[in-house]
Amino acid sequence: MKVSELLLHPAECIALVQFKFVRKPLFSGVGAGRETADLARCRELLRLTSRSFAAVIMELHPELRDCVMLFYLVLRALDTVEDDMTIDDAVKVPLLRSFDEKLLLDDWSFDGNSPQEKDRCVLVEFPCILREFHKLRAEYRDVVVRITREMGNGMADYIEDEQFNREGIQTVAEYDRYCHYVAGLVGDGLTQLTVLAGFSSQELADNPQYFESMGLFLQKTNIIRDYREDLDDGRVFWPKAVWSKYTKEQDGTLAEFASLENTESGVFCINDLVLNALDHIEDVLTYLASVHEQSSFQFCAIPQVMAIATLALLCNNAAVLQGNVKIRKGTTCWLILRSRTFRGCVEIFEEYLREIRGKVPVRDPNYLKFNVRIGKIDQFIEELYQSNLPEGIQPRKTPIYLKVSERTKYDDKVAPTIQAEQQTIQWVLVTCGSLVAALIVGYLMKR
Amino acid sequence: MSEITSVLIIGGAGFLGLHLIQQFYDVEISSGRPQITVFDVRPLPEKLSKQFTFNSQDIEFVKGDLTSAEDVSNAIKLANANVVVHAASPIHGGKADIYQLVNVQGTRNVIDVCREQKVKALVYTSSAGVIFNGQDVHNADETWPIPEEPMDAYNETKAIAEDMVLKSNDPDHGFYTVALRPAGIFGPGDRQLVPGLRAVAKLGQSKFQIGDNNNLFDWTYAGNVADAHVLAAKKILDPETALEVSGQTFFITNDTPSYFWALARTVWKADNHIDKFVIVLKRPVAILAGYLSEFFSSLLHKEPGLTPFRVKIVCAYRYHNISKAKRLLGYEPRVGLEEGIQKTLAWMDEKL
Repeated sequence: MKVSELLLHPAECIALVQFKFVRKPLFSGVGAGRETADLARCRELLRLTSRSFAAVIMELHPELRDCVMLFYLVLRALDTVEDDMTIDDAVKVPLLRSFDEKLLLDDWSFDGNSPQEKDRCVLVEFPCILREFHKLRAEYRDVVVRITREMGNGMADYIEDEQFNREGIQTVAEYDRYCHYVAGLVGDGLTQLTVLAGFSSQELADNPQYFESMGLFLQKTNIIRDYREDLDDGRVFWPKAVWSKYTKEQDGTLAEFASLENTESGVFCINDLVLNALDHIEDVLTYLASVHEQSSFQFCAIPQVMAIATLALLCNNAAVLQGNVKIRKGTTCWLILRSRTFRGCVEIFEEYLREIRGKVPVRDPNYLKFNVRIGKIDQFIEELYQSNLPEGIQPRKTPIYLKVSERTKYDDKVAPTIQAEQQTIQWVLVTCGSLVAALIVGYLMKR
Repeated sequence: MSEITSVLIIGGAGFLGLHLIQQFYDVEISSGRPQITVFDVRPLPEKLSKQFTFNSQDIEFVKGDLTSAEDVSNAIKLANANVVVHAASPIHGGKADIYQLVNVQGTRNVIDVCREQKVKALVYTSSAGVIFNGQDVHNADETWPIPEEPMDAYNETKAIAEDMVLKSNDPDHGFYTVALRPAGIFGPGDRQLVPGLRAVAKLGQSKFQIGDNNNLFDWTYAGNVADAHVLAAKKILDPETALEVSGQTFFITNDTPSYFWALARTVWKADNHIDKFVIVLKRPVAILAGYLSEFFSSLLHKEPGLTPFRVKIVCAYRYHNISKAKRLLGYEPRVGLEEGIQKTLAWMDEKL
């Protein structure tokens, strides 16, 4: 973190202070001594494999915390098998396809990862995960098993898909399908868990489009952002149907965009992919409006608002073609603080959509499409609250309007906490300001 | 169900009228296609855009004046119409007494003659502007009220006419009426929107942006508006749907509200005109400039380019919720904004 960066963005600096010192998590991970050695080790495995995700999971409601942690570790284990290029496919594919069956065992582990594989501990110590997994509610276990089976089979299918491995993703439909296996399934699993816990509307479990969009919005954002990193690793995830519109060579490849002379066409391609990702926003907002337990809401909302902030950063940004771009730490804190209410999430989306619209140049081939798409999202947002009606006209009681009205009740419960924090931070600012002023005056008086 | 056997299109030689002819021409009925008669003050243009595929020889024309009840009566008799589409209207920006004559008296004539001659269905082209009086319109639907203080004479008379049409709906006597409210119509034949935007660029004024360009505006391709008329006519002739559709008004748009200057810049881009820098005039500044422009223009006896009225139009949110038209008429815009602009530019290049 750069101090100069913080000083250039004082609002984010304040958000950072508020986030670290003033905000109180809804729930913390401390188990007050009830924690078993296995559970403690699982938490440690979580921290070892994903520090940021560990922090988020620990703030979940106790009903779901351990389950989500174990779900994460199981998928991490699966991913560790899939990612390891030193494992022969003859071993890897059957293991991926049967990985869900391992969850039914009491004692299974895997020692076949390369010593350099940093997450191999998850597989070596899998028995520890299994012991805690079996303590979960049967319905929760069923969800994890199903998702593991579908994801394992999906991974195996891609490994065996010669065309995919030779040519990469061809169509936008294939792009969506790939993102489904990588992220849509995770959204599916988490959705079923929150619904089973009674924290979200049953409707979310019954309508795949909503949780699919939650997963795909995040994954597409990552795929766009990781262009250079993936290229350097010899991987391609941008769909050919999109990037081939912008390559100049007859048999051009994605690598073409990394050359400085092809920056403009590369940027147009980035924008085209950003436009595609915007198709998920209505579903994302509908999903968030359907989550009523507060810690689950924040768990779902934080990645989504960070994704829209990232998309705004990626949009029309040539730096994506040359390296890694990511949002500032202060921005992250500001987003987390602001996304604790649904209204806050909507405002964040509106602000970043406005930023995206301002960034797309007229000469971009998708200029009007961006405006139409964002206009449509704006219209959708207007229907959530219907706050611009003429006098005497009643809001239309549409399903989404009623859902948002319900969610607003939960927003109102959180509001006093947020206000108290803001008062504290203001008090601190005034006090610090007074102190600094007093010191300056005292110093001047001495001279 | 009853078919559209014969349709009289009042105002059929005009901009929207030609699109109406095309859409009704494409209707398939058991005996082939509806008989189409046009009633207007002037005949169909001698040269039609290549985008219209109907055969002019198949279209009957009756010359007449809408303000003459006798002329209207003769036209409906000749057409033997079971459907009347009333799409005649003076262009926005004219004098108040013309609006009163054509929009109110003319419409009264149409209603009276339709009832007298047992016409089954009357589809009236109203305007989305009837609910607009300068204030923002955010996602309006048909429950929004007609303002007590109209913005101008044009919208006032359109609202009066619409009300007359809806009140004349009389299922008990086999007379069904409906009013459609299209927003921001553009397309081949329009001499205001796209041609106006092109003229702005030629004058070098495209570098100015009035307002912050966050206001959403509904544009509607003319062919889609005409399609809505056909759908409405079919619905009010069909005994199964007539009662729920007749006596109703419907907003008709492209269902893709867009920011005001985005469409303008898209038109300019198609002419290879992209400004490197844009000067933004905020709404209050622009209104002040409009008053000054109006003042100095009046001193010079010239027509002002910028007026407070135009600033308010350009800066207002004006977009609509068309879920009612989708649900009850089965309406979906078939031509998108981008394609609509391309068609309009292609028409302009024909230089008819």
